[in-house]
Amino acid sequence: MRSRRRNVLAMTAGLLITVMIASAAYAQTATPTSSSSGDVVLRVGVIADLDTDNVFAVSAGSDYTVATSEYDMLLSFSSKDLTAAPGLATGCDHNGDYTTWTCHIRPGLRWSDGQPLTSEDIAFTYRFVIDNNIPQYKSYFPSDPTFETPDPTTLIWKAKAPTFAPEMPPWVYIVPEHIWAPYDGKDLKTIRGVSQTPGVGSGPFILSSWTPGQSFVMTRNPYYWGPTPSLDRIEYQVYTNQEAMIQALKNGEIDALDGLQPSLINSVQGSPNIALQKVVSDWWLNLAFNFGGQPGSTYTPLPALHDLVVRKAIEMAIDKNAIVQKVYEGAATPGDTIVRPASAYWHLDIPADKEFQYNPTAANQMLQQAGYVDTNGDGIREDPKTGQPLEMHIPASTDTTGAEQAGELIVGYLKQIGIKVDLLPATDAKMNDYWGSGNFDAYIWYWSGDPDPNYQLFVFTSAQCGSWSDGCWKDPHFDKLYEAQHTEMNQTKRQAIVKEAQQYEYDQVPGVVLAYPNWLEAYRTDRFTGWVGQPGPDGYVLPTYNYDTWLSLHPLGETSSSSSSGLPGWVWLIAAVVIAGVVVVVVRRGRKIEPDEA
Amino acid sequence: MGSRRYLLSKCLQALVTLWFVLTFNFFLFRVLPGDPIGMLARSEKLSPTDIAQLRHDQGLDLPMAQQYVVYMKNVLTGNLGESLRTGLPVRELIGSRMWPTVLLVGLGTILASWLGLVIGIRGGWRRGSRFDTTSQYSSLVLYAMPEGWLGMLLLLVFSGWLHWFPAGGYASADKTGVAHLVDLLDHLFLPLLTLTLGYIGGYAIVMRSSMIDTINEDFVHTARAKGVPERLVRSKHVVPNAFLPSFTLIILSFGFVLGGAIVIEAVYSWPGLGLLTYQAINTLDFPVIQGVFLIASAAVIVANLVADITYGYLDPRIKQA
Repeated sequence: MRSRRRNVLAMTAGLLITVMIASAAYAQTATPTSSSSGDVVLRVGVIADLDTDNVFAVSAGSDYTVATSEYDMLLSFSSKDLTAAPGLATGCDHNGDYTTWTCHIRPGLRWSDGQPLTSEDIAFTYRFVIDNNIPQYKSYFPSDPTFETPDPTTLIWKAKAPTFAPEMPPWVYIVPEHIWAPYDGKDLKTIRGVSQTPGVGSGPFILSSWTPGQSFVMTRNPYYWGPTPSLDRIEYQVYTNQEAMIQALKNGEIDALDGLQPSLINSVQGSPNIALQKVVSDWWLNLAFNFGGQPGSTYTPLPALHDLVVRKAIEMAIDKNAIVQKVYEGAATPGDTIVRPASAYWHLDIPADKEFQYNPTAANQMLQQAGYVDTNGDGIREDPKTGQPLEMHIPASTDTTGAEQAGELIVGYLKQIGIKVDLLPATDAKMNDYWGSGNFDAYIWYWSGDPDPNYQLFVFTSAQCGSWSDGCWKDPHFDKLYEAQHTEMNQTKRQAIVKEAQQYEYDQVPGVVLAYPNWLEAYRTDRFTGWVGQPGPDGYVLPTYNYDTWLSLHPLGETSSSSSSGLPGWVWLIAAVVIAGVVVVVVRRGRKIEPDEA
Repeated sequence: MGSRRYLLSKCLQALVTLWFVLTFNFFLFRVLPGDPIGMLARSEKLSPTDIAQLRHDQGLDLPMAQQYVVYMKNVLTGNLGESLRTGLPVRELIGSRMWPTVLLVGLGTILASWLGLVIGIRGGWRRGSRFDTTSQYSSLVLYAMPEGWLGMLLLLVFSGWLHWFPAGGYASADKTGVAHLVDLLDHLFLPLLTLTLGYIGGYAIVMRSSMIDTINEDFVHTARAKGVPERLVRSKHVVPNAFLPSFTLIILSFGFVLGGAIVIEAVYSWPGLGLLTYQAINTLDFPVIQGVFLIASAAVIVANLVADITYGYLDPRIKQA
């Protein structure tokens, strides 16, 4: 009785496995070489899942990817150098004193639900941002602007003081009034909690489905105002394992991937039919010194940091090239100024003769001459004024690629010049505590900003102590330079001031710009052609600043498919037969043996 | 102790444990350094005033005791709150991740326990045989092998070199009906294999050793002396008695199903509860962490209760104790 039941069990299990294998075999033979509906589909692997489908809650990575494809802005960023380019408006004109800007909106625009899109939607979005204090966007509207819409194709932006804000351009996605009006005046939590799938936008692709943790799909917007893209759909697959994502690209399960760890460069480089895009950096890793004085702070950072000699010595003791090679596997460039290289128009490449060269010997001499001598022979120099040893607590963000590893190198570099570093790895949440409380001597974190340099310079001004400032560096001359570029309406003149401010900040060393790490993307070259970099050929090919890539991608032959080469169906069938056979043998043997044992 | 009293005391114990877990979860995540809103600061350009406002909106600025009361009240009314990161209701988030985890970990537990028991029974019964030595070594190797490493290895071989299976994920977005089911099986195969291999060893080892213990018991000698056929000695006398420790292990493993398999889910990008936990801890998303921990611990406590109660019936000596 018992053994019969066991046999039945074994048979059932065998059958179950056979069915599973047979259906897998069916899957392999039935996998179409083109998408089942004949649509042209681009598949993209991403590490970061979508956090939100709501443009007022966007925070990182994929959120911006989706928003940038789904919505337009008043003016877009040019693929060439990220300066203003036509968007919903073909352009904006200013009056003599730059207080009134008239923007010309394209006629006949429609939202993806077929409703008309007019200047009124743009004015609504801007007022919504200002009135509801949306943190990501509110800083784009200086000098209390008001918005008028005399007709559906005209938007008038009036500011109380001269401004170049409309042409920065403001990074604000324009949303439909008929969808968002009911949320106007609600608290921020409610606004950020609104889900928008499927969304209503004006861009070429609209988020049509989102399965958190798995995938999200964008479908072509039939009402898009520009040229019709070749793609019907873009499917994003979320991977939590970078090696697996690379494998999927090599297998052809995906056509492109976004965001690769530098340590994995070698597993992509040189692979057939795969191109690696080392994106010119739009963020930088910094070592920021703390000068103290944060409101409510009880901590006194190392006083010697107020001495420019000490700061310069630290800058000269750090081997930035080694950080680029060892931490980022070469996928970075050594850092210099606080305006990232991606903003090519504004970035200052410090001339070699004005650069602090890596030279620990010279750094040691400088400290020695300034009186920082190791008086007690413990290998650590003492401050001649206070007698305090040069010891620093340096938190390093573990959520920032390379920060902790760079920190480990810096411990060694500063030891060479007699400065002791206590490295404190910390999550961004904890970093925020250090930042807010001022409870550190220096920290290693990152900055990233807009294509326009205004925000990046702004965070270094004195008034930002206790707010955006890293370590309360207060320098009236830098403040003046910031103000000057802020009020200079002539772009060429402003560019000169911005560069001067960068050189000045570099010379004063309120922190050390350690590296400009590249963002890494990879795509298959045998599937689609027409990838557009932004900015320039070394820029992002997946939508970040604009969606130009989506408009120019074209399939190469039979592309629109997933297809792993797959174990052929017959192998599956044989395996199924073998397993079924083994089960039968086991069952029979069980029957034969048992009487012997008895 | 009467049957009803036994049942009642076990249920009461379970409730007390659940309350303790709830309270512990609440405080555990709040003593972690940093706070979830602060994490948004750099990426969202939130100034300290904005952060204070958001903290206030989320009730994170209330005194700890008050937050605790709100939390307990919400949990008792089935409201698990909203994710701080995405704003989605935690119940929905957990709901959407539940099925993939039950499918993967549930199926893996069934397969592994069944195979493990079969191996353990056979090995223990014929101690020292070639089957026993081989199976014992392989069980130990599988048991000791880190799941993540095994997962990466299988991924490399079956997806990277042989291209037989997809490199991760749950199912392709554009398939429906039978094609979807088949696609799902394709994606399920490698994580399920990893999980099954990873779990088999534990079951086999426990079952084998309790088989060996039981074989040497007096009642087995008595049975043999009475002339009971070997087949019946094994199936009627040894296996039922040796099964008790494995039974507890299996029931408890089912309790752990809802905790997900964090490492395997992360390796194969399998969108289950384990992955949700991992992501929530990384972003200090309190409501989500509390939600998944609550579900996971409740499942373990219930499984424990089930084990305790059925054990009492399977082995009446327990109830007397």
